[in-house]
Amino acid sequence: MTFVYLIVFGFAATAALGLVTSWIDRKVTARVQYRVGPPFLQPFIDIVKLLGKETVIPAGASRGTFLMAPVIGLAGVVAAATLFWVNQFFEGGFMGDWIVAIYLLTVPSLSIILGGFASRNPLASLGASREMKLVMAYELPFILATLVPVIWAGDLSISGIIENQSDGITAGHLSGIIALIVALLCVQAKLALVPFDIPEAETEIVEGPLVEYSGPGLAVFRLMKNMLLFTLPFFLIILFFGGMRLNGINILWTLLEYVGIVALITVIRNTNPRVRIDQAVRFFWGPMTVLATAAVVLALNGI
Amino acid sequence: MKYLIDALKNPGGYFASTPLSVVCAVFAAMFFVFTVVYSFRHMSGRKGLWRYYIYILATFLATLGILFSANFLLLLVLWGFLGLMLYLLIGFGREEGTPESARKSLAIIGGTDVLLLLGIVLIWSIRYGSTGLPGFLRLPFAGMGIQLDTTGSVIAYLCLASAAFAKAGAMPFHTWLPDTARDAPVPVTAFLPASLDKLLGIYFLARVTLEVFVMTPAMNTVLMALGSVTIMAAVMMALVQHDLKRLLGYHAVSQVGYMVLGIGTGNPVGIAGALFHMFNNTIYKSSLFLAGGEVERRTGTSDLARLGGLVKAMPMVFAAFLIASLSISGVPPFNGFASKWMLYQGVISGGGTLWVVWLVAAMLGSALTLASFMKLVHSVFLGQPSQISREVIESREKTGFFTILPLAVLSLLCIGLGVIAWKIPFADYFRPGVGGELHMPGIWQSGPATLVLLAGLVIGYLIYLSGSIRKARIVAPFIGGETLEKNPDMRVSGVDFYRTIREIGILKVIYRLAEKKLFDLYEVLQKIAAGFGIVFSFMHNGILSRYLLWFVIGLAVLCIVLI
Repeated sequence: MTFVYLIVFGFAATAALGLVTSWIDRKVTARVQYRVGPPFLQPFIDIVKLLGKETVIPAGASRGTFLMAPVIGLAGVVAAATLFWVNQFFEGGFMGDWIVAIYLLTVPSLSIILGGFASRNPLASLGASREMKLVMAYELPFILATLVPVIWAGDLSISGIIENQSDGITAGHLSGIIALIVALLCVQAKLALVPFDIPEAETEIVEGPLVEYSGPGLAVFRLMKNMLLFTLPFFLIILFFGGMRLNGINILWTLLEYVGIVALITVIRNTNPRVRIDQAVRFFWGPMTVLATAAVVLALNGI
Repeated sequence: MKYLIDALKNPGGYFASTPLSVVCAVFAAMFFVFTVVYSFRHMSGRKGLWRYYIYILATFLATLGILFSANFLLLLVLWGFLGLMLYLLIGFGREEGTPESARKSLAIIGGTDVLLLLGIVLIWSIRYGSTGLPGFLRLPFAGMGIQLDTTGSVIAYLCLASAAFAKAGAMPFHTWLPDTARDAPVPVTAFLPASLDKLLGIYFLARVTLEVFVMTPAMNTVLMALGSVTIMAAVMMALVQHDLKRLLGYHAVSQVGYMVLGIGTGNPVGIAGALFHMFNNTIYKSSLFLAGGEVERRTGTSDLARLGGLVKAMPMVFAAFLIASLSISGVPPFNGFASKWMLYQGVISGGGTLWVVWLVAAMLGSALTLASFMKLVHSVFLGQPSQISREVIESREKTGFFTILPLAVLSLLCIGLGVIAWKIPFADYFRPGVGGELHMPGIWQSGPATLVLLAGLVIGYLIYLSGSIRKARIVAPFIGGETLEKNPDMRVSGVDFYRTIREIGILKVIYRLAEKKLFDLYEVLQKIAAGFGIVFSFMHNGILSRYLLWFVIGLAVLCIVLI
């Protein structure tokens, strides 16, 4: 029973915080562009509205795969978020470790790719293939950068990484700062936000893999993306800032860290043009990997 | 022959059973049954089928013999016999390059059989050379504990390891595998290179590494480096393939890298992970080959550019293919993830100073595997249907029961072994001769994690139910107002999805060299041999004047030397 409770909590809390984060993102974007921005409840209203819209399935597509894809992605985010929540608030490791987290966090991308491929639409095929290339590109620096906290903690488990930072966070070291920068840019690509929104590229391939989605399917994908918008910064906080600390003044710090990460992501997305996919691959396999490798080497030497 | 009869008369000195060989034998039997069942339909209409089934049976029996042999020479004889059987079975292929591929695999496997013999002789001379006991013919295959401190023992180990590498298809002896996968009949590929050869090669490598020799850190590093290179190089090649079977063949190579890497870690978790991965790999790899074979049988081609959209024609095959793809890419909670995870644990605790390198190679390798399988899923089953696919879809032929049965069982195994992974008694089965507790630094509770994932699926389903999902409308795909059917050129086949990767920096050079077969030992040796041939044919051109010239030169040299 506790288990069901945990999952429902994991889902509900993540969804709520994800929607709030999405509102922050949209509000900041609007302010940057001298607009007023949406009201607080707008992300939530959007999803409810989408649920009421008609479901349209492309002719000749695999109906099962097309409708299953968003759900698979949602399951991936729910699992990843539950993994983080449980290890954040309970003593002792549970369910999985750093490796599991990395693998679970690729499931949402996988679901977008599958959904795009199942749409029977050339634009979706193109967009999904770009998403796949993006995954290949950022995975290398992302693994290396998130390895730095593991090396500092000397422990693979999420709870171990959190506990071992109680006397000094990873971001307090030089290697930690470098790794944080790399990981942040990888998160930008994981969220497919500008400058790495190549898979969706509205102006050229009309939302790519999502082009055929409407109604509930799109609602689930939206929800999944909003939940990721919370889960990924949460993962970064766990890895680099010792998790959420909810005692006394630390609440303020945690909040600051979280809002800081989200604001950085939003600012990057509002001040950059979209790059091409080959530029993105070069960027991640080139400078980012070099930086991340340097961070790992520094961390192994205790700097 | 006399030797084999002697072996059958006195099984005590020749056969022995370990838990590992029993599990391997169970798997071999399962694949034997599946191959025969699948072949009913797939091979029907070909000539000489009775020979085909006899070869398959002989292969199976020889495999059992190897798994239970306690004697090096018996093993060597059966090992060579298997190589021959593979050669004969490839001959049933109908592709253009079949004879060439069969020759290539025979040359590589036969060549390493010679190395195996050399290694066995060396072991005998190291261990019993001075006393002559217990006789070369009865050299036991266990409990040797030879130290890798002399040149002889290192060479002996490398010889035995090469034989295992060639059989399993690890680098640098892998090159027969993609060619065989392309040209041999699919059940043969699924039976030998994808499952039995993997079982045998890795089983042999594990036994040799753990029971015959005492590993040194240096040798472990060599193994881990070979494993990592195999993973990365093979998967990079797989990314740019445009033939379904050949692409799968490269993955058959890439996955061996994980096993070699795991055995190279030299610690119990890594080795147990490697052996677990070996079993998982045989499951999903045969599933992939069998599903691919069905596609090929129905469409008559394995060229990815001419396939696509087949999910409508064979939904069950697609489901099996997708499950196997997710397993091989290590998506939790499938079995491929469970064994990869164990392997990573081994690499982290036993990988030496370079553990980060091996770990990143293995983890990135699995992301690239996912990429190349997504390409396959798109180009074969999803995406926009090609002309051939349309005809197949319109023919409305049902997938046969004998095709579905193996695929269904293998898919269930992919899920089942992944979900109950943490309950499997690794200590008993996947730990040949290694002592010590299985210490796992990380956590992977596949049971609860699966429950969470299922809960996520349920939540998604509930959200769907609250929407308009039940009255869905079917509309032509939106391509800016164009119609797909009227514009066949707009079809994205997916073959060139990863051309971008190929064009990047140094990768461009490497790919070009690989396409010139510069990394193919067989081809390089062939070129060298051809080079000798040119020299000899220049010398022996059959014309008297040139022989006379050599004669005079030889005389002159003799005179100079003698004077």
